[in-house]
Amino acid sequence: MTVPPREEPPVRDLPLDALPPPGAPAVEPFPWRRLDPRMLLVHPVLELVRFLPVLVGVFVLGSSNNDGGMWQLFSVAVPVAVGIVRFLTTRFRITPRQVELQRGLLSKKVLTARLDRVRAVEVTSSPIHRILGLAKVEIGTASGAKQVDDKFVLDGLPLQQARQMRIALLHRTQAGTPPGATAPGQVPPATVDGSAYDDVTLLGFDRRWVRYAPLTSSGNVIAAGVVAILGQFSETIGNRLIHQFGGLGWVTGRPIATLVPVAVLGGLLLFLLLGAVFSVLGYLITNWGFTLSRDARGRTFHIRRGLLTTTETSLERERVRGLEVIEPLGLRLVGAARLAAIVTGVSQQESGSSLLVPPAPREVIDAAGAAVLDTFEPLRVELGQHGPAARRRRYTRALLGAAVLPAGALVLALGTSFPWWVAPATLVLLPVAALLAADRYRRLGHALDEGYLVVRSGSLRGRRDVLQRSGIIGWNVHQSWFQRRSGLVTLVATTAAGKQAYAAIDIPEDRAIALADAAVPGLVTPFLR
Amino acid sequence: MPRAPVNPALREPAHRVSSKAPVLWAAGATVRSLLLLAILVAATVLDWFAVPTWAWPVYAVLAVTYIAAMPIVRYRIHRWESTDTAVYTQTGWLSRERRIAPMSRVQTVDFEQSALGRLLDLASVTVTTASAAGPLQISMIDKPVADRLVDDLTRRTEAEAGDAT
Repeated sequence: MTVPPREEPPVRDLPLDALPPPGAPAVEPFPWRRLDPRMLLVHPVLELVRFLPVLVGVFVLGSSNNDGGMWQLFSVAVPVAVGIVRFLTTRFRITPRQVELQRGLLSKKVLTARLDRVRAVEVTSSPIHRILGLAKVEIGTASGAKQVDDKFVLDGLPLQQARQMRIALLHRTQAGTPPGATAPGQVPPATVDGSAYDDVTLLGFDRRWVRYAPLTSSGNVIAAGVVAILGQFSETIGNRLIHQFGGLGWVTGRPIATLVPVAVLGGLLLFLLLGAVFSVLGYLITNWGFTLSRDARGRTFHIRRGLLTTTETSLERERVRGLEVIEPLGLRLVGAARLAAIVTGVSQQESGSSLLVPPAPREVIDAAGAAVLDTFEPLRVELGQHGPAARRRRYTRALLGAAVLPAGALVLALGTSFPWWVAPATLVLLPVAALLAADRYRRLGHALDEGYLVVRSGSLRGRRDVLQRSGIIGWNVHQSWFQRRSGLVTLVATTAAGKQAYAAIDIPEDRAIALADAAVPGLVTPFLR
Repeated sequence: MPRAPVNPALREPAHRVSSKAPVLWAAGATVRSLLLLAILVAATVLDWFAVPTWAWPVYAVLAVTYIAAMPIVRYRIHRWESTDTAVYTQTGWLSRERRIAPMSRVQTVDFEQSALGRLLDLASVTVTTASAAGPLQISMIDKPVADRLVDDLTRRTEAEAGDAT
């Protein structure tokens, strides 16, 4: 089936009488199930949290007005009632062909997803869920459902049941099994003791990885926010420091010229410190307890992580089209990297990159990648360099960019009363740019092995993409005017997975075409000169 | 790495777009140039900012070159081809983009005709694959050509099996 693929949306609203799947007996052999009653506690608490601002207002107003009793009661009762209604009206069941989810009090809604379209199952437990031993199951299907309302979510199943459900959904019995024999959703006999589905742990969390956290940029964003907020109150803070604590006494009476660099340095240090602290905290919160495992039959990978809210993501092996080794400069300097899987889906919305391993030593990344791909080759293979023209281009671009500031400063200094020292000071950018260009060229590379196309690029945001050759569904050969003059092209392999496009940047034209021809035999051959 | 023949390079796709295309491109360029001119004139008349006197002839030369040269260059570059196994397009004028999609991975074939296109009997055909990065657009071809192309593509893609991802 090639044209058009979206003719059969797997999640859709059906009238109630259309529910029994074709071939199912008229009596209902697959009983409707409810969520765990303990979810009754989850929702009110969540609703309370959501209503918190209102509640605070109500209680504050109530205590000052003395007639808010009714309102207080109301604001607590409403979320509780919403939770009860949700519990009473949500039902789901798993038949041999599909998962069905029914909900709604006044307007009934039935979501139906075909089992063979279930692509991912995510099990999430927030702290409240964990206290109650519950988990939220999100079923990812090949649909473009964007509205929260149309997503397939079962909020509140016992954790064990959630995991069994994940197994049942992902390891559904093959088509042709008589219904009821080992129907998905009912625990197959073999899993009663769990032996047939025991997961093989590929990789576990190592606390020492935390040291890589400050080298990622994640914390800096939060730190920037904090510094910005501090900036808003700088006057108040400054006044306090000077008047109340008598600190910063040496500031008064010193020339501005010495104070500015001190302030700038201090601000930078504060920023870096905050960034480091926040990234470590963020790392721990999202990655604590990380495990990468594979089911016994090697058909799915499970990624589990989280300190407060734990998430367990499952990934079907057949959807993995390759790997992205993400190695920004900071991580690269200490021999670390991050690993993501290039994942395909039937629709574009659900395909993307899915994190496999958080920042960790390169050997760990390589080992995990090899476990996923079943081969070390694409991760370790020596890459072909892109040649002198590509190197020249890296230097030209970096140096021209770096020359803009000094040149501008020089013009300003000549024309206006702009400080003359700025132009020479910004010259320091040039060697930095040269270093960057050298590294950017060194990083450029490509390779091809039996199964995979490997492209590498980027210095500050370095990455090595390993893309399954059979996952390449087209080529874009881009050539800017400058690239044409130096005989280079940017060869882009398009794919239905991950970033949708993976590029070999500034590769000599003949080598690009040879690479494309070799990677997908026959595709470009008729168009060769 | 297996190497293809000596210095492999792609040839250009076989077919040009419609010969009416340069006229349309030139018309578009003229409209854009006149719009910018109108803004410059308005700025001078209403005294928003000062336009130096030398800017006018420079602008005139640039605009005329753009209107005259761009459609010619573009007409030379915009080409397309569809074979039994693949679709191949080439677009651009300052830069150049060549796209190849195998017939087996084609997902949709869209036919489009704008109001102006209907007037001039022009149409465009867009071929998409499962990747968000690679729609192949063949614009400004004569409508009969486009009709035949769509028929062709639909027939060929139907013959292919698989889910095109």
